[in-house]
Amino acid sequence: MLEKILVANRGEIAIRVLRAVREAGMRAVAVFTEIDRRSLHLAHADEAYPVDSYLNPESILAAARRAGAGALHPGYGFLSENADFAALCADSRVLFIGPTAEAIRSLGSKTAAREVAIGAGAPVVPGSDGAVGDMDEARRVASAIGYPVLIKAAAGGGGKGMRLVEEESELEAALRDASSEAERSFRSGEVYIEKALIHPRHIEIQIFGDNHGHLIHLGERECSIQRRHQKVIEECPSPLVALHPEMREAMGEAALRIARAAGYTNAGTAEFLVDADLNFYFLEMNTRLQVEHPVTELVTSTDLVQMQFEAAFGAELQLRQSDVSWRGAAIQCRLYAEDPANEFFPSPGRIDRLRLPSGPGIRLDCGVYEGWTVPMEYDPLLAKLCVWAQDRPRAIARMERALRETEILGIANNVAFFRQLLGDARFRSGELNTGFLDQFFYRPETELSESELDAAMAVLAAVEPLAEPVMPATRSKWSRR
Amino acid sequence: MEPPVKRILVGPDSEKEVEFDPAAFPLMPLEQGTTLVLRGVQVHRVTYANGRLLVNGKEVQLSLADPRDRRRNSNNNADSGRRDIKAAMPGKVIKVLVEPGQPVQPAQGLLILEAMKMQNEVRSPGTGRVAAVRVAVGDTVASGQVLVTLE
Repeated sequence: MLEKILVANRGEIAIRVLRAVREAGMRAVAVFTEIDRRSLHLAHADEAYPVDSYLNPESILAAARRAGAGALHPGYGFLSENADFAALCADSRVLFIGPTAEAIRSLGSKTAAREVAIGAGAPVVPGSDGAVGDMDEARRVASAIGYPVLIKAAAGGGGKGMRLVEEESELEAALRDASSEAERSFRSGEVYIEKALIHPRHIEIQIFGDNHGHLIHLGERECSIQRRHQKVIEECPSPLVALHPEMREAMGEAALRIARAAGYTNAGTAEFLVDADLNFYFLEMNTRLQVEHPVTELVTSTDLVQMQFEAAFGAELQLRQSDVSWRGAAIQCRLYAEDPANEFFPSPGRIDRLRLPSGPGIRLDCGVYEGWTVPMEYDPLLAKLCVWAQDRPRAIARMERALRETEILGIANNVAFFRQLLGDARFRSGELNTGFLDQFFYRPETELSESELDAAMAVLAAVEPLAEPVMPATRSKWSRR
Repeated sequence: MEPPVKRILVGPDSEKEVEFDPAAFPLMPLEQGTTLVLRGVQVHRVTYANGRLLVNGKEVQLSLADPRDRRRNSNNNADSGRRDIKAAMPGKVIKVLVEPGQPVQPAQGLLILEAMKMQNEVRSPGTGRVAAVRVAVGDTVASGQVLVTLE
């Protein structure tokens, strides 16, 4: 039996997995870079080893050897979808908790995944046959499928290395930018071209397989609320699928066909775009645990990370397709250190105040603490705030309540943005698409009522003349300068 | 009974003189940095740190000044026409797009900063000429650091 699992990641996802390691009765091993010496994930580990980068396979595996860790969970991002790393783990006799290197290779690149999907008879968005070699080919492909087109990084995710091209004159610059961004982010500059659907919905299917040939899907997640092609709110069920229950089966079946064709095991996610006529197109397979996996866990009463451990250790999947059921509604808001009033630009810095929500139906996967400085070197995700309730309207009400309990000061953040977004009539109607945020105008609420202004002045008068962080014990300490 | 206090309430782009009676604002300090203020029976939650406030979740930048201090320093701001373009956040200079002496248009890109793997073009706020480029490619810059001076 394995005794230790190393988690090759940082932030909230490292904590999510380290918690699961402890719940499984094993020793939790963390790694950290110099920048992360004071990061919260270390507090959830029994042992911690320095690495020079979360992207350096040798450094991570050296830590695993020193720790005597028999298995490694990559989290998401970093090395999680790197087939060479998965293979290197196998060579080093460290169990990689995730799909096999072969499955990652055949699905990890978007172009390869397309081929697999086409072979498996799943619908795909029209686009280039694999990566585009040069400018001439790009021009030919783009005019054949018709503008607008999207340029995407073959190895990519999260919108990195992606460019929307409206017309041919923009193609060359966009191709160059996308390729160099892809090179920096994923160490591969390969890009491909795809027809840009206008304002589709983004709906994905969670799949799971063991090493014994069992493959199931756990339904969909609605991820249409995105900025810069990065999701900010995810839900299960999708409001669209709730209206058309047959879509869950159809998309689930398509996802499983692709997974079967690739011999897929462990957790994965098939992403689909859905147009206004309810046609769905396979987009890509994420061969890892997703950021938004908690909403699926909340609605299906599963623990995907424990399932990942068990499947990786060779256990047979207990859950069969007919056992999977969906109960209630879950929503996740990604709390980011970013400025929604300034194009969501990242805002690293010190978290001066942090008040977090709790109570019925709340799940908070948080990677930060008050007084910590969010470093500029990494992703600005602070925490994932998830709620569960009996139905979507009640889940929205619960999220609004939770957001009122949430306070972050010191860095720009999107808490107030979410508060406004959840009140939006269109959001509440469930009519979502990936263009939603382009049409949603966030107005930071800075108008205080008369009585709020009084309250603010009262606190300022008490606090300002004194050195921070001393607070007055009673009102007798009123300042008089 | 304490007398009403005269103060200037300073916002990000305006200020006004206010007078209020401390006794009318019962403060109920909770954990460090968060205070409840009762106005009648209405509860307001105020969280404070370094000049920033969250008032019932609304973030505002306010401070109180003493009217007597104020009168002394009200004659600065002689506009020389020079303008420093500062980094809005810490980051790394990826590319410099202008050189000294070059005329610039509104919204023209001056340089590219990278932070948290995001690239951001720092643009000119108006028409002018580049007086100096204060940073070089590869430099790590702090929030508020001067990047380019325009004139």
